Amino acid sequence: MSTLLDEHSRPAVPRRQPLRAAVIGTGKISEEHLRFLSRDSRVELAAVCDLSPSLAKYAATRFKAAAAFSDSVRMLQEARPDVVHVLTPPHTHWALVSDALNAGAHVVVEKPVAPTNAKFRELWKLAEERGRRIVEDHNYRFNEPILAIEELVAAGELGDVREVDVRMALPIRKAGGRYADENLPHPSHNLPAGVIHEFITHLCYLALRFLPAGEMWRVAAAWSKHGAEALFKYDDLDALVISGPVHARIRFTSHCGPDCFAVTVRGTRGWAETDLFQPHLRVVVPRKGGQQLSPLLNHLLNGANLMGASVRGFRNKVMQKTPYEGLRTFLDQTYAALCEDKPPPVTYDDMDRASRLVDALLEDGSRV
Amino acid sequence: MNLLVTGANGFLGRHVVAEALRRGHSVRAVVRSAGDVPRNGWRPGANFSFVQADLRRRKGLSDAVAGVDAVLHLAAAKAGDMYAQYGGTVVATENLLAAMSEARVRRIVAISSLSVYDYLKMRSFSVLTESSPLETDAFDRDEYAHTKLVQERLVRDHATQEGWNFVILRPGVIYGKDNLWTARLGIRGGKVWLRTGAWAKLPLAYVENCAEAIVTAAERAGEVSVKGNVFNLIDDKPPTQRQYARQLQRRMSPRPIIVPVAWTVMRSLARMAVLTNKLLLGGRAKVPGIFIPARLHARCKPLRFDNARIKQSLGWSPRYSLEEALDRSFAVEADGGAAGAGEACSAAQDPARPDMIKGAA
Repeated sequence: MSTLLDEHSRPAVPRRQPLRAAVIGTGKISEEHLRFLSRDSRVELAAVCDLSPSLAKYAATRFKAAAAFSDSVRMLQEARPDVVHVLTPPHTHWALVSDALNAGAHVVVEKPVAPTNAKFRELWKLAEERGRRIVEDHNYRFNEPILAIEELVAAGELGDVREVDVRMALPIRKAGGRYADENLPHPSHNLPAGVIHEFITHLCYLALRFLPAGEMWRVAAAWSKHGAEALFKYDDLDALVISGPVHARIRFTSHCGPDCFAVTVRGTRGWAETDLFQPHLRVVVPRKGGQQLSPLLNHLLNGANLMGASVRGFRNKVMQKTPYEGLRTFLDQTYAALCEDKPPPVTYDDMDRASRLVDALLEDGSRV
Repeated sequence: MNLLVTGANGFLGRHVVAEALRRGHSVRAVVRSAGDVPRNGWRPGANFSFVQADLRRRKGLSDAVAGVDAVLHLAAAKAGDMYAQYGGTVVATENLLAAMSEARVRRIVAISSLSVYDYLKMRSFSVLTESSPLETDAFDRDEYAHTKLVQERLVRDHATQEGWNFVILRPGVIYGKDNLWTARLGIRGGKVWLRTGAWAKLPLAYVENCAEAIVTAAERAGEVSVKGNVFNLIDDKPPTQRQYARQLQRRMSPRPIIVPVAWTVMRSLARMAVLTNKLLLGGRAKVPGIFIPARLHARCKPLRFDNARIKQSLGWSPRYSLEEALDRSFAVEADGGAAGAGEACSAAQDPARPDMIKGAA
């Protein structure tokens, strides 16, 4: 799989449309990518690839891909995709992204693009040399509540941002779950942060959206394992990141329920919060009623918003709209950028900062 | 014969191991956890050994398979999303077949399911046989039917290409102690059962009868009338939903309350759900499984079943009638279990309790 292909003679930026897309790895997350790729008019789904021929064939049939492969190198040679989606377990990303770049394709890759910032920078350098793009999936950035909070910040509604809380609770230790399977240990157990490495990129890029650009960070990270399961390296992270005047708390737990992915942004004027797993938006800011009436107005408005969110939540459940809603927006903007040769919505700087922050959280000097 | 049993720790697998040992075969049981062995009362010895392996992982499988005369492939995923079931059923089978090729094992009995048929295409009260139409668009059906169809195709193609002796068995509702409920009866609450239909026959296969058929298939897979064939595995005289529900109710304490819902009502509700989804929600809404016509028909359509082919070709005949099977399933056992004990297998089971109905058979 790591054999580099000699395919450098293709034009620097493929402008033909539709773009020929291929997917490597047809597991659960591929469903979201393939649904987009099979419907978007700018895309021709040229191939899917999985180590399991049956799974590849299933994905090809279901999403009407032109071909199914079980060997990624052969797929790159025969299908000649313009864009390759790398959706395999993280430990395989570096080799597969390299292969795709060397075959002359842009790459959309699931997080984390690489296990360390140094490995990411190798890929970045290779992409620059080949005149191609790597775009890491930062899908939750494009979920509506996050976009709404960013708008509030940009409009000055919250004042200057001072605190960010990003908190994820997931039962990764649950018996019978994919991460707790001792008979077939999940490959992410071997990543630097263990299974938490599967999720840490999400937490970091969301926190970074509200931290000042260019500032140095002060980091303290408590990586813990509270459970007794031998399989896990860590099952809990509680980290503080201070950048200029902004304090960010990055929290992952497998010991609290129910599942949540909560983001709270606090500024000098007010604060806003959401939970991406149960989408809503709560905003507490000074209202026109002045200091006396603002608390009451905030309660009334947020109460109405919560009622609306519960109705939307029910509708989303029935209509099978998942927390991956941002992925569609992310892919839409990514393909628009690739077609028009413009910077994609997730830039190298975004990816670099996220992977540097992950490194910083794992550094010995940051450990609490 | 030296037999390898995948899924040996499952409900059916434990009985297959016991039956194979009872007939004097040597058994190598594939288990995912070594803890499964003492839990089942198995003691490694001259006729019994076990190998710890997860079929979803290719590595080491050839060694596990090497030296056996036949593989009884029972392992499958019955729950989880499409990807979990692909892993546990399809990828597992891909790996097993590759390992068999490497180890030059040339006989396999694969356990599929009656769920692979296209029930929507069948007329009510028609007879389901091995010639009935198979599901062609399993995406609308369910993960289990889809993955079982793929698994069957894999086994058939691979075995044919390699010139192996293979048999595919499609058991009906496998039932026995602790596994007496079936989704074909309807919806089960705590004390109330919603019985969706009354006259539909239940294609039951008592687990001990089933185990006998599977081991027989392994023994006779080389015979002209058996090899390369597919057989539905169903007991004689299938009861109706009403008869089976009453049998269970009669034996249980406290007795559940059975609320009947007619098949025509269920079918109408499913049609309305489909129409509403299509007209008002663009076909994108998630509808409860019981209101998806393909699933509803697979569970509850009134059909008749025939087991002539397996009886004739395999020479198998179900040892236990429904009454006897239920008596064995509900009996408080003192003699070490209904499955019969082999040299290395006590097959000791917990005494059956009247309230023990769990799992979907």
